[in-house]
Amino acid sequence: MTPSILAANLGLSFAALAALCLSLNRHHAEVFDRKAERAAVLRLRAFGWAAIAASLVVAGIGEGWAFGPVQWFGALTGAALGLVLLLSYRPRYVAPAALVALGLAAVPLSLAVFTVSP
Amino acid sequence: MKGSFRQSMAWLHTWSGLIVGWVLFAIFVTGTASYYRPDITRWMRPELTRAAPLDAPALGAAAERAVTYLKEHAPKARGWFIGLPQPDKPVLDLFWRTRPGEPPGHAMLDPRTGTEAAMRDTRGGDFLYRFHFELHMPPLWGRWVVGICAMIMLVALISGIVTHKRIFADFFTFRRDKAPRRSWLDAHNVTGVLALPFHLMITYTGIITLALMYMPWGVTTAYKGDNQAFFAEAGWVTTPRAPANRPAALAPVGPLVERALATVPETLERLSVVNPGDANATVIAVFEEPHGLSHQHPQIAFDGVSGEMLEVLGDGLKPAAKTFTVMTGLHEAHFAGTALRLLFFLCGLMGCAMVATGIVLWSLARLPKANERAFFGLRLVQALNIGSIAGLPAAVAVFFLANRLLPVDLAGRAEWEIDAFFGAWIVAALVPLVRPQRRAWCEGLAAVSLLCLAVVAADILTIPGHPLRLMGGDPLFAWFDAAMLLLAGLFALAARKVLRYEAPRKEGKRERDMAQGPRPEPMAPSPTRAPVRHREPTHA
Repeated sequence: MTPSILAANLGLSFAALAALCLSLNRHHAEVFDRKAERAAVLRLRAFGWAAIAASLVVAGIGEGWAFGPVQWFGALTGAALGLVLLLSYRPRYVAPAALVALGLAAVPLSLAVFTVSP
Repeated sequence: MKGSFRQSMAWLHTWSGLIVGWVLFAIFVTGTASYYRPDITRWMRPELTRAAPLDAPALGAAAERAVTYLKEHAPKARGWFIGLPQPDKPVLDLFWRTRPGEPPGHAMLDPRTGTEAAMRDTRGGDFLYRFHFELHMPPLWGRWVVGICAMIMLVALISGIVTHKRIFADFFTFRRDKAPRRSWLDAHNVTGVLALPFHLMITYTGIITLALMYMPWGVTTAYKGDNQAFFAEAGWVTTPRAPANRPAALAPVGPLVERALATVPETLERLSVVNPGDANATVIAVFEEPHGLSHQHPQIAFDGVSGEMLEVLGDGLKPAAKTFTVMTGLHEAHFAGTALRLLFFLCGLMGCAMVATGIVLWSLARLPKANERAFFGLRLVQALNIGSIAGLPAAVAVFFLANRLLPVDLAGRAEWEIDAFFGAWIVAALVPLVRPQRRAWCEGLAAVSLLCLAVVAADILTIPGHPLRLMGGDPLFAWFDAAMLLLAGLFALAARKVLRYEAPRKEGKRERDMAQGPRPEPMAPSPTRAPVRHREPTHA
């Protein structure tokens, strides 16, 4: 169970941080060559913080509330490092990578929900 | 110290960071490596192969063999410590203390025969682990130095947070192609801020693990300085028993081992025999900690003569004692599985990078103008930077290399390995003093890369059971070598970057034109890299 929860944490963290990063004008311009609209900024921020919170809940439920927060912080740091490097070397890949990360996080999560619910 | 609060904090950050920076870098590097201490130790003892776990009677018989050996070789000892064979470390690891001030004894036995195990003498990963908090000094001195450095690190962290003006706006900003000071500052901020929870946690819990040594007054007052009584009351150790000073035969330990295993469901890690041969001898069975954040080993104390079970310590700690064990547990991260351990390791590397970029920034912010000489302090800092940032990794690589290349039966082999480590470090720290700064960086980084490659080559050539030579050998060797190759690649990239580096054109152009004339001080990495030396108090 542990590796799939960690994968979900990493995926959620990456997508969340990428959204928060794209809500900042400088990075938005680096990636999309234009300024962010106000509505888009708000949407990105709302999604980013929600996904960070979701990641904590996933870690807490999946790993227990002792290990969960540790893993949550670790995943956030690891994902942030990857994001910063990607942003610096290949800014164009940030948005697609965030979508892929979200998709990767969804797989173990849906599996977990599927196995728990019946 | 003048001006606004933030300027004062910037001053504090700069100077607190500089004075402990080199030691902190060493602490961070060896501490980060210590996340893989058992793996490094296993790599450095290639004679040991993994074995199936022993069942209770076999473990008891092995413990009996250890006691037989100790009765013969250490009859006068105050305490025997018997590390029991584990799948990853299938030997009896014996250790005994005779009296304070005398060096402890140490032996490794084959658990099946009770004779000394045939393998190379090495400190393994334990050397790096102990260096992390003792710096290879006498333990008390080393722990004090490390503790003071850690406290100053905490000061540097907090003042750094205050100093950082745009912590959220620059959260993701790493402008690697801007002027060197800008890029280095970004790298310093990114490695510091992104792993900030880790940095704060590791620094604080690091101080806490040794807090009783730094602040002994509470225990001194309440327990009249009797630390053991305090530890026992906290529930961390079993109640100490004074020797009766009457001889009595030690009960057979085999049955004690079997009873201990039947009582606690964890893996039995070691036995401590306190006051062997005395009527008040105690045998303490120490188990691996159960899966959890808390760093607390379950323990069972037996009367060493009658074999009666005296005390069972489980997880019944009071909140304060539990808080302490959770903090040490978080620091050591024994609980972390492969993936989480990798994240801890990555955070550790970011800590190394934060310290390294910090001390480099200090010198970048003080580069002389094109027509100035570098002042002595700057040259010293520059040389020390190279000596630690390239020198320490080179020394670690030489330590590994010595483990593979020294003759296996060399007397005092473990000490030779350590001498090689310090010898390499001293050379790496002295050479930059007489080389131009940029060349020295390039050579130092390239040397680390080559040494890492040499470690891989030596490993493959000297280990007959290496997975590359023998299909399906112990994968540990392949993983270790892969990590070494990765490090070699990273250091080679860094060396190449230093070699090829040119300052961005628009910033350095005017100064470059000016510098075409008489060439100034060769210590300056390149005249074009030296921006006008204006003090930005918030940045380094």
